[in-house]
Amino acid sequence: MSTALGWLAAVGLAAGLVMGFGVAPREVTQGNVQRIMYLHVPAVWVAYLAFAVGVAGSIAYLAGRRPGADRLAHAACEVGTVFLGVNIATGAIWGKPTWGTWWTWDARLTSVAVVFVMFVAYLLLRQAIEDRERAARYAAVLSIVAALNIPLVHFSVYWWRTLHQPPSLLKPGSSTMPPEIVAALLVNFAALALLGAYFVTRRARLLAAEEEALA
Amino acid sequence: MPDNWTFVAAAYGLAAVVFGGYWRWLVRKERELAALRLPRPSRP
Repeated sequence: MSTALGWLAAVGLAAGLVMGFGVAPREVTQGNVQRIMYLHVPAVWVAYLAFAVGVAGSIAYLAGRRPGADRLAHAACEVGTVFLGVNIATGAIWGKPTWGTWWTWDARLTSVAVVFVMFVAYLLLRQAIEDRERAARYAAVLSIVAALNIPLVHFSVYWWRTLHQPPSLLKPGSSTMPPEIVAALLVNFAALALLGAYFVTRRARLLAAEEEALA
Repeated sequence: MPDNWTFVAAAYGLAAVVFGGYWRWLVRKERELAALRLPRPSRP
């Protein structure tokens, strides 16, 4: 299953590049630099999806103490952190030519940085505690607390005055974006979601093998 | 506004390095684990 997911992700990524660079038009105001959006936005959606899976795994672990649920939570939170890191880095690269700065401490950027740091702390916590059951329990609680900040990230652009623009797609009402841009965004989201699923399955399998080797 | 293709290349290049690096790290860990699991050859 993991190999099939990997190949599907590779095909999806190729299709995403074709959509982002071949089908989607050049944006009138920003020019071609706007094409970073086809990577920046799907990366954060996949990160949120991975964190949702991670939180589900954490809750399942706290409820039933099943090691499989903890492995899923660990793998999903790690992959989510990788995708969120890509989102933050590509946002900084996009910000320099459009805003004139790599970074600013506005509510959206600060809140997303807080979530990123909390999930990095989650991964460090898992490394720091030797007792695996205790590490899993503490990490599960931390992942739930970290994920509680995600709605704050989403709504920060409404609640505070920010340099970051409000959502163009994940908002009430119809999208104001041209259909080619929406299509390119969705194809890239599907491709990165497949890549994320491939990473999570492979990482969870690796964690199971590590536990088996240590037992 | 100028197209700033350098920034586009930097963003996609960085993502390729991060995702590719993570994939390579997973493959390396799997190989290390597989090497650990190999049974030791018995003495003749």
